[in-house]
Amino acid sequence: MRKVRITTSKGQSHMTETIAILFIFFVLVFFGILFYYKYSQVSLKQEKEELLGKRAIETTLKALFLPELICSNGEAEPEDNCVDMLKVRHANVTFRLHNQTYFDLLSYSKISIYKVYPESEIKEPFVLYDKPKPDWEKKEATYFVLTLRDELQGQDNYGFGYIKVEVYS
Amino acid sequence: MALHKSVHKSGQVEITFNWIYVLIAGVVILLFFIGIVFKQKAASEEKLAGDVVRILESVFTAGGVSEKTKNFIDTSGLADYTLYFRCQEGAGEFGIVNNPARIENTINPVFAPSELQTKKLIIWSLPYSLPYKVTDFLFITSINTKYLVLGDGNGFADEFMDATEGFTRERVTFTDLQNINPGAIYHLRIIDLEGVISSLTPIPENLARARTLTAVSFRGDTVYYYQKNTDNEWEELNSNSLVSIISLGGERDAAKYAAIFAADAESYQCNMQKAFRRLRYVTEVYAEKLRELETHYTQQPLPAGECLAYINGFTNNLVRSVDLQMAYAKLCETTFASCSELLRSASDIKTINNEMRRQCIPLY
Repeated sequence: MRKVRITTSKGQSHMTETIAILFIFFVLVFFGILFYYKYSQVSLKQEKEELLGKRAIETTLKALFLPELICSNGEAEPEDNCVDMLKVRHANVTFRLHNQTYFDLLSYSKISIYKVYPESEIKEPFVLYDKPKPDWEKKEATYFVLTLRDELQGQDNYGFGYIKVEVYS
Repeated sequence: MALHKSVHKSGQVEITFNWIYVLIAGVVILLFFIGIVFKQKAASEEKLAGDVVRILESVFTAGGVSEKTKNFIDTSGLADYTLYFRCQEGAGEFGIVNNPARIENTINPVFAPSELQTKKLIIWSLPYSLPYKVTDFLFITSINTKYLVLGDGNGFADEFMDATEGFTRERVTFTDLQNINPGAIYHLRIIDLEGVISSLTPIPENLARARTLTAVSFRGDTVYYYQKNTDNEWEELNSNSLVSIISLGGERDAAKYAAIFAADAESYQCNMQKAFRRLRYVTEVYAEKLRELETHYTQQPLPAGECLAYINGFTNNLVRSVDLQMAYAKLCETTFASCSELLRSASDIKTINNEMRRQCIPLY
């Protein structure tokens, strides 16, 4: 009778030991998963930031070379880093009218042109394209210097300004 | 004694049970980690493919905007991957074969073979103008895609050889074709400038050994695409759709080069559709610019009279031509066969614009 009781008590201690090992194992697995989840979250955030930066550069590049804005020069190559104000003043209407096409090109962003020289009374920029992302968390702005050609002000009349491209994420 | 034997037996059972338990638990734990490893491997492969496609997209964007540039990109790390390029109903797509990573593009015309597996990609862009700049055409090919230029094509063969320095290409005569060894070339494309290739004509045995063999044949302004069939004969691709080159000609004719680098007629037309859609939008902006010029010259005293006549006075004036250009571009987006009308309006705009450049503000 005494021997059976001893065996039962030994079995119980074995069971407790097994449960303790399993508990520690699952605690370790849980911590592992938690650690991996946190690590994934951080790397995902980093990746998102990298992608936003990349998109900002790409959108600026695309905006700078848009045939809808660039200073054409007959059959010769267009002038680099120059926008034709006669086109700029109307391009926003085309961008709005065909918003799906231009969204595919410029995604969630805002493109504005600021005139610096010659100074004018109107300080507001020309907003060419504006499509903010619903519930956006962050936006990154990129600036690029431009010459602004306005032939209505006289032949070879060039102003000076900059383009601001903001991308949303 | 009996009790001792029973305890001993129970101990044996316990030890056996323990071992079985340890074995099962061990296998379960091992399977768990093997599962994680496999999942991780699949996820990282997918991520790598996604990264590759995204990087290629950036390269293509940069290549597309930098006019007339040729880029040779070392892709030796991607030599095991097969890149594919498709275009259907105005939407292009590229990615890696047997991988979900892909990028869609409905804006930029990209002309490339349907598949590429290479250690070096070649990216070249040319501006497409009708008559003003509409967009940049991006040509993608590889160092292991060989172009055999057959015939002279009124001097075009020389121009092609000059323009494609660094590409794998060779000028050949019809008899040379019998002696060409495809070797390790992934894709062999014959550029037939004389229009000698036709359906069901036999392919020389040596050429038929090429992994992929295609031909593009020019007859006037019409282009025909061929591929090798199972009987080693030329078989016309997309024979029901007529492909015309819509351009004003001249050197470095983007539309003609596009026909050379496009996989087939369907892909060519699909990418041209993108260009015609963009042409309509760019023309809309030019139409507004024209209206502003018209208002400007209406308010000006003489000698602006002739400038205004170029805009809305003469029989062939800019307002009329630009309106026609917009209408034809829209028609051309859906019916490729009606694109030739576009050339007339584009040519008129070009002529008037050149006249205006002498004393007025030109349209472009």
